[in-house]
Amino acid sequence: MIIIHPFARQLKNGKENPKNYPYWEELIKLIDEPIVQIGIEGEKQLVQDFRTNLDFIDLTKLVKEGRIWVGIDSFFQHFCWDLSKKGIVLWGQSDPLIFGHKENINLLKGREYLRDKQFWLWEQCEYRDDCWVSPEEVIKYLK
Amino acid sequence: MGEILAYISTKNRYDTTLPLSMMSVASQTKKPDKFVLFDDNEEPIDLRESEIYKNIFKLFDERGIAWEVIFGEKKGQHFNHQKANQMGYKWCWRMDDDCVAESNVLEILYSQTRDNVGAVGGSILTKPNLKVESTGKIENLNKEPNIQWGKIKETKEVEHLHCSFLYRAGVQNYCLGLSRIAHREETLFTYELFYKGYKIIVTPCVTWHLKTDGGIRSIEERKELFEKDEVKFNILLNNQIVVLDNGIGDHICFKSVYEEMKKKGNVLIFGCYPQIFPEMKSIAEAVELLGDIRPYNVYYYMDAKNHKGDLEQAFRKMYL
Repeated sequence: MIIIHPFARQLKNGKENPKNYPYWEELIKLIDEPIVQIGIEGEKQLVQDFRTNLDFIDLTKLVKEGRIWVGIDSFFQHFCWDLSKKGIVLWGQSDPLIFGHKENINLLKGREYLRDKQFWLWEQCEYRDDCWVSPEEVIKYLK
Repeated sequence: MGEILAYISTKNRYDTTLPLSMMSVASQTKKPDKFVLFDDNEEPIDLRESEIYKNIFKLFDERGIAWEVIFGEKKGQHFNHQKANQMGYKWCWRMDDDCVAESNVLEILYSQTRDNVGAVGGSILTKPNLKVESTGKIENLNKEPNIQWGKIKETKEVEHLHCSFLYRAGVQNYCLGLSRIAHREETLFTYELFYKGYKIIVTPCVTWHLKTDGGIRSIEERKELFEKDEVKFNILLNNQIVVLDNGIGDHICFKSVYEEMKKKGNVLIFGCYPQIFPEMKSIAEAVELLGDIRPYNVYYYMDAKNHKGDLEQAFRKMYL
């Protein structure tokens, strides 16, 4: 079973969070095992099994049950790291060397896409859909 | 940007000791790169129109010392100290507006600066004949007179300073949670530098503390504010403060650093997710204690220091 955590927190300005991977639907089509999506109420449902607002106890159980997880730069990659559960993190404009953990598989298209002001608010950053690895690239690490 | 900023924070002393203090800065054998006057008077005046101050500013000009007058926020001198602290100089020499430094003070204080020195002070004399036998240790704060109140005869290491001194800027923040009278602000500031591993030094040189009316002595509710500041001072003195005004992920990344901090001493933690740290107090309580909590924010720290390592390393540098 694969766990996915597709979305970072909603921005106060209502815009798409630049940390959100744009090709989840394409990636999901390439995965041939059960997928559980975790998130909060109101987020877009991408798969049948969408579990929202799990508390830390239930989330911990789920993470331990899963074979692997795929997420973005959000609390979930830290949560799983704290449980010593390795997974795949999809990086766009935030720097995995600062915000990631080397124990995970950190997929970054290129450092040239990293935003200059790494410590500023995400409301101050424009969304880009050209700074991500392709779903086909991600699948190689999931198998 | 030069190396040394000299500054005075002033209130209600235009007509008494402020000109004397400013003259003593202008007359130093070692010239500061810039002098700033933080004017916290309720109704500030343009000092360039005063004959006395016009001539003092002229003297700064003649001696090649850049100068500036900045109107303060009137929230207390500690706000001005923090502004000076963040102006980008390597060292700040703070002078009270009722102090007169002998002409060699800055030269002598500066001569004691090294890579591992956080602050240097000299004698701050009100009664020249006061004999002071003090250790300068924080544990004796309430048991002995301040070591600077007597004639310092030899250079020695202490744990805190008072009144006027030269300090390494941009390393430690002033506590903006103290009241307008900012009781204990310099003790807290210098002791926190000491706690971070810097040497705090006293060395033989003399600044005269004239202690006239004005400043905080003119505030009516002084006693009540003094007591409130004393309570906060004791909390801050006896605990290392952590403020996590950040996301869950940041709280998680802090866990191992927190465990190490607790082995070294008391830690008072404020934040947003008691699910991670059950003993955590709220951000509102942090603001009440500290005033400005931005300097405690790891992202503020990383941006200011152009941090290159990971998040946990940033927390380590901040706290361990």
